[in-house]
Order: sequence, then C-alpha cells, then structure tokens
Amino acid sequence: MQNKYTTPIKPTFCPGCGNFGIMQAMKDAFAQLNLPSEKIVISYDVGCNANMADFINTYGFHGLHGRSVPPAVGVKLANHKLTCLALIGDGGFYGEGAQHFLSLMRGNHDITVLVHDNQRYSLTTGQMSPTTPKGTITVSTPEGAIEEPINPLAVSLVNHCTFAARGFAGDVVHLQDLIVKGIEHKGFSLIEILQPCVIWNKERSYEWYRERVYKLENEGYAADNRQEALTKAQQQDKLAIGVFYKEEKKAYHQEVSSLDNGPLVEQAINRIDIGKLLEEFK
Amino acid sequence: MKNTINIKIAGSAGEGIKSVGLMLSKSFLKASYFTFDYMEYPSLIRGGHNTYQANISLSPIWSQAKKIDILICLNKQGLKLHKDELKKDSLVIFDPETVLVEAEKPLEEKKPANNGLNLTIPLKKIATDAGGLPIMANLAGLGAVMFLTGMDIKYLFLVIEQNFSKKGQEMVEQNQKVAAFGFEFAERKYSEYKVDLQEASNKQEKILLTGNEAISLGAIAGGMKFYSAYPMTPATSILHYLASKAKEQGLVVKHAEDEISVINMALGASFAGVRVMTATSGGGFALMSEALGMAGIMELPIVIVEGMRSGPSSGMPTWHDQGDLNFVLYASQGEFPRMIISPGDVEENFYLTKQAFYFAEKYQLPVIILTDKYMAESLTTIKLPESVSENEKRSFSHEPVSPFERYKDSENGISLRTIPGQDKGVYLSNSYEHDLFGFATEEIEMRNLMVEKRLRKFETLKKEVCQIKQHVLGDPDAEIGIVSWGSNKGPIVEALKILEGKGTKASCLNLNVIWPFPEKQVVDYLSGKKFVIDIECNSTAQLAGLIRQHTGIEIKERLLKYDGRPFYPEEIVTKLAELN
Repeated sequence: MQNKYTTPIKPTFCPGCGNFGIMQAMKDAFAQLNLPSEKIVISYDVGCNANMADFINTYGFHGLHGRSVPPAVGVKLANHKLTCLALIGDGGFYGEGAQHFLSLMRGNHDITVLVHDNQRYSLTTGQMSPTTPKGTITVSTPEGAIEEPINPLAVSLVNHCTFAARGFAGDVVHLQDLIVKGIEHKGFSLIEILQPCVIWNKERSYEWYRERVYKLENEGYAADNRQEALTKAQQQDKLAIGVFYKEEKKAYHQEVSSLDNGPLVEQAINRIDIGKLLEEFK
Repeated sequence: MKNTINIKIAGSAGEGIKSVGLMLSKSFLKASYFTFDYMEYPSLIRGGHNTYQANISLSPIWSQAKKIDILICLNKQGLKLHKDELKKDSLVIFDPETVLVEAEKPLEEKKPANNGLNLTIPLKKIATDAGGLPIMANLAGLGAVMFLTGMDIKYLFLVIEQNFSKKGQEMVEQNQKVAAFGFEFAERKYSEYKVDLQEASNKQEKILLTGNEAISLGAIAGGMKFYSAYPMTPATSILHYLASKAKEQGLVVKHAEDEISVINMALGASFAGVRVMTATSGGGFALMSEALGMAGIMELPIVIVEGMRSGPSSGMPTWHDQGDLNFVLYASQGEFPRMIISPGDVEENFYLTKQAFYFAEKYQLPVIILTDKYMAESLTTIKLPESVSENEKRSFSHEPVSPFERYKDSENGISLRTIPGQDKGVYLSNSYEHDLFGFATEEIEMRNLMVEKRLRKFETLKKEVCQIKQHVLGDPDAEIGIVSWGSNKGPIVEALKILEGKGTKASCLNLNVIWPFPEKQVVDYLSGKKFVIDIECNSTAQLAGLIRQHTGIEIKERLLKYDGRPFYPEEIVTKLAELN
C-alpha cells in the first residue's frame, strides 16, 4: 500500500525535518482510508512543506506562495467526488494568504488543510513568521520580533471552523488519525501541525515539544464545545494535541443548488441552448 | 422624414435614469428599430449627474451621437450641462415644478431658445393625476416621447408589462395609465412638435443587450461552468448576470474574497476539468498577475475578461479608457504564451467569448478578453444569435499511460492533459519549471525543452489566429486608412458612414485579436494606404507602438482621447477632415 502514494523522487528535506513525519502520516492516512491515488488532489503552497509535491503520488497542484487553499476549493467545486487537501505553512496561511484563512473557512468548503507550523519562513532562511513568539531574534528581526504571534486555533474557533485540530510531527500515528478524521469530516478541516525546524528554529526541538504536548483524547475531552476548545487553544504552558472542536454542518458544495445533480465536471457542455436566455433581451 | 432620432435622459443618480432609459429603448426595439444606448454616471450611489442616451435608427447603429433630438431633463443641471449638444430644433422636455430654471432670462415656453425648444410638461402632476406616485413621473415623460416621435403607445405598454408584471397586474396598469396621460398631454399641447420619424421596416428578430451581457451569454454558450469574481466596475454586471442564472444554467458562480483567490480558485477548477472564466478591471487584474503566469507554466485554460476604465490606480472608476493594452500584454513575470482578444462590438463580444473558450482549452493557456467601460455597459441592438452551440472538448488524454507524461513534448507544442479522478492519469500541475511528469526541475536540458515547447505552442496558435481574417471596415480600396482596436469600432463605423455621405472614402482595420499579433494582416493593410491614422482611447498610442515594434511601420498621425469619454463619430470626422 505504501508505494502507491510514493513517487520515484527522493525527498530533499533536511535530516530530522518534521516534514518526514507529516508525509508519512499523510500516506498512512490515505492507505487507512483506502483512497486510490487518482481520487486525491493535494494543493501545495510554496515552502519546504510544499516540496512534498514531488514525493507524493496523487493528483497535485503546486501553486503559489500563500495560495494553496483557493485552488483546493476550486477543485472541490468542480468535482466534489474528489478528496481535496491543501498543504500550507504558517507563513503562507497566516501571513501571505491570511485572507483565504479567514474567508474560505467560513464557507465550510469540504477540504482538509494541513498547516505545517514551524514558526519560521524556513525555505527563505529563517525569518520570523506570523506564529513566531514576540521577542524572538531571527534574521529579519535582529532585535527581536515586535509583533505578538497569531493564535491560529483560537482564530479558527471564533471563525466558524467546523473541524479544528492540532497534531505533532513527532507523533506520526496520532497525526495519521487526525488526518483520517479531517478527511472524513464533511467540511473545512484545519489541522495545525507543530513542526520542529531543526535548522532555523533550534529552540523548539522535538524534545521541547515532547515535554509540552498532551493528548486531549486521554482526558475524556468531548470536542463539542467552542468555549472549552478556546480555553485549550489559549493554554500557554502545555500544548494540547487532538481534535479541539468538531461540528456537523452542510459543506459549501452541498449548499450550491447547481451541484444537486452531480459534480460540475460531469455536466455536459457539448450542446448548449441559450434560447430561453435570449428571450429577455427581445 | 427622419431615419434616426437621438434621445437623452438626464437626471440625478438614484432617480432611476438607467431603468427608464432602457424602457425607452426597448419600446423602440419592440417597434423594430435599432438602438445604441450609452450611459454616463459618476462613481456614486446618490447625487451626481446621470445620463442615458438612446440613438435610435431604422438600420443597425453602432455608437452614440453628439447632437440630441430630444432631451428629457429631470434635474436642473441637465439644462446647463447639455446645452452644447442641442440643435435649434431639439426638443427639451422638463417639468417646471422640479426643474427650477435659474437661467439669466426666463425660458419662454414653446418659443425657440438659443438651443432647442422648451416643452414644459408637469410630469409629477401628470403622474399623480393618473393616480400614480410622483416617482412615476419618468413614465409620463416616456409617454410624451412616444407621442412626439409618432410611436404607438402600445410598444411602451408592452415594455411596462415586461418590467412590472412581477409586481402584479395593478402595478402594470398604474404605470401604463401614467404613460398614457403623458402621451395625451403631449398630444393636446405639443402636437405641432411631433417629429416625423420613418416607420421601421426591418422585422428581423433582434435583441438589445450590453457588452457584458453578450460576454456572459457567449461564456454560457461556450461551455463555461465555473465563474469566480470580485466586484469591480465595469466588469461587475457579468457577476450579477451569471449569478442570477447559475441555478437555471447549472453553473457555479463564486464571489470570492479577492481577485487573488478568484483566479487561484478558477485555476483549481480548470485543473479539475471544467471551463472557467473570471472578469475584472485593471486593478483586479493587477492582483491576478502572479497567477496569470501560473496558468502559463501549468498550461491551464482560463478566460479572463479585463474591462478597462480610466487609470492609473483608482483613476476615474466609472469612465472609459483603453490604457491597459500594454499591461495585459506584459503582465506577470517570465515569458509564457497568452492570447488577447479585443471585441469591437456586442456581436463580437458574444462570438469571440465563445471562441475564447475554444482557444483556451485547445492551447491550454490564458485568454484575455480586453474590453472597456464603453463596451461593457453600452447597449446595442443586434440580430438574434443562434441559440444552440456545439462544444467539443479539446486537448484531453482519453487513454493515459501511467506514469503520465503531462508535459510531453510535441510538434505543435500542445500536450494532452488528464483530469483528477482519471485513472492512470495522475500528474503534478506545477508552477515551478518541471519535467514531462510535472516534477520540479532546474536541469538545463529540461528547462530549455519546456520553454521551447511553450513557445512552439504559441507559434501554432499564431498560425491558426492569422487564418482568421480581420475585417476591414468601409471601402478597403480607399487611400485613407484608420487602425484601431476594440470598442472604437462603433464610432469609427458611424464616422465612415458620415464621411461616405460627404464623398470621402476611408477604411479601418479594427483589430479584434491583438495577441498573437497579426503582423501580416497589419502590413498588408497598411501597405496600400496613402494616409494612415491611429485612433485609440489612451494618451500614448499603445497599439501604434505595438505596430511599430512588430512591423517597423510608424504611424505618425494619431487621434487619441483620454478624458474618460468614448469617441463620438463627429470627432473622428472632424479630425479626418482636418487632415484631408
């Protein structure tokens, strides 16, 4: 099963990169769901995470920086039978493409967004990102970052996200389970992934995360209350992983009446009659 | 006997000038006349001066004209602002109660003023006397116009029915009554001013529509299934029209959060196999520029309508300009094939939009339809187009072999594509330079191969485009030649008619495909001319620059306009007379 989702290209991630664990979790999730390669579309950002485009064997759309979510939405609206995922980083989704983060989440488009959050712009050699803590010294902030970091899960929870989760690149099995749940969820699934960057974010190593993460499911957490989820999302000393909040709601494509009769791509265009439309111009 | 009549309605924004103007025009359409309707308005919701001008004719008519035969003035500014457009015998209709004239000397009813004859009609009083609301005064005015142009009121009644039937029969009858009272008032008081307009005889089925409506219909006919957009004048009405028909026509119409999302979403849908379009103006197109290049390297079809307006920057949002030619030609980093179409009239808007989908899908590239405010919003009467369109899907692989070579090299530069969901067709659509499978590459050989493949595709497109004959307007053998593009076609056609009447022969090559640049056709046209002038609505003669760049021919004579208004045929005639 494993090879089905693997291309002949050898991964170019740095040794120890969190992307290895995330990629493994993705492939394992696809295998667990028994999804054929050709039924999956992954839209990729520009960044280290997005270089996965060359290594994962499914239909792929390797687009522009900060823009991986709109094409995934476009694919889903054109053919809602497909499983659509978008990969993006903290810089791409909470910075360059933050308008898509705020807008498309509200539409509850049925896509699963995996955010590789390493608190750095790593491909461009380690500048601060929207999730970098205040005071952090980076190459673009030699005197320390002045901005406060964004709290993506907290924002999502007050922004009508219907599936908000956090995973850890160092716990592949747990992350695989989250991705499976995200894909199964019919609506916008945000999976924030804590990802160590061994080159540009040495303060937050695997060990740093392991000392702080704990699993929500081990605490009998129900994931059905936005307020409770918000409290968990704002926790500073410890970092919860698991599903923070989940809600059943119609996905965007289910509310578009022209899609009631099946995917757009299956609607015939070989013979189109506009006779009725012309009447009103007479 | 007159065979054309030019009517202008002037009033303040929010007074319903546009809807009353359209009703006027439609009444003449129902009586088998042709009309060309042109509107001016500021970028405001209320206040400011609005006009609607209907140039009505027995035969097809393609532009507005300067001199007005009948002016209906609903505010006092109108009397001042349009003074220069009046002739001695123009009729000026206004309600003395609302239009308090602040002229130096009081206007004398019925007696010729310096400009036009003033016909005071108590429009509001007529509306209330007929049992209607004061807001229906406009219809009393239309009723009066029906009488003054010798039209049967039944045509206006038909239009009222079409317009108000949704609001109930009572509403229809009330409006008809107000119109009838207006008609009768004019008949009683101003019967000697009745214009002798020849009866229309061309009974061929016609429609009256804007450039944007024609683009929308062309897109639906061309198999467009996905439309995403962000509102921006003058492209917004395409979004409104398509959204209103989405359910009935089986379209997905998405108003997205910004133009960046718009084009990225559309390209996602295109990748998934449906025909996609978006429309915007220069500002929105600027935001789309990065993804335009992505369509180029991913080799994905998309049709983008760029409706130009006066720039730079926010400029004059509701006014006309052709300043974006160079912008759409060169937008986005790097080099990639694109196609630029610039329809010259409403008919071309329909047919060329339909064709744009063919070109985009066959050659897997962005096709830009470059239009403008004048074209987008003006209405023209055209003969009813064919209602049925046949569309064939192009450049798809039906039996892919895995691993699929999406960007396989080919003689014509076109590589077949698969769509997600298709077995054995899995590939990566890549904004990075890529190999045959779509995987990123920086190798010299593959880079060169891909650049050259894309260029070759453009050469194939160019060959096909050059086979489409560009129409020469007017007398092709005339020594005087005009080169122009896009919506200038209308005023030029009307100017050629006037010149012909004066015994001056001239012709025009109005380009409706600008890129790939039709060098041979331009050279062939120019080589036979003794005298050539370039006509454009911009200040730097961008088309003339392109012609010089690609043919070496410099066109020194130019008629350029950049004040936000389209050309009037009279201006073109005057310029040519000066030079002749």
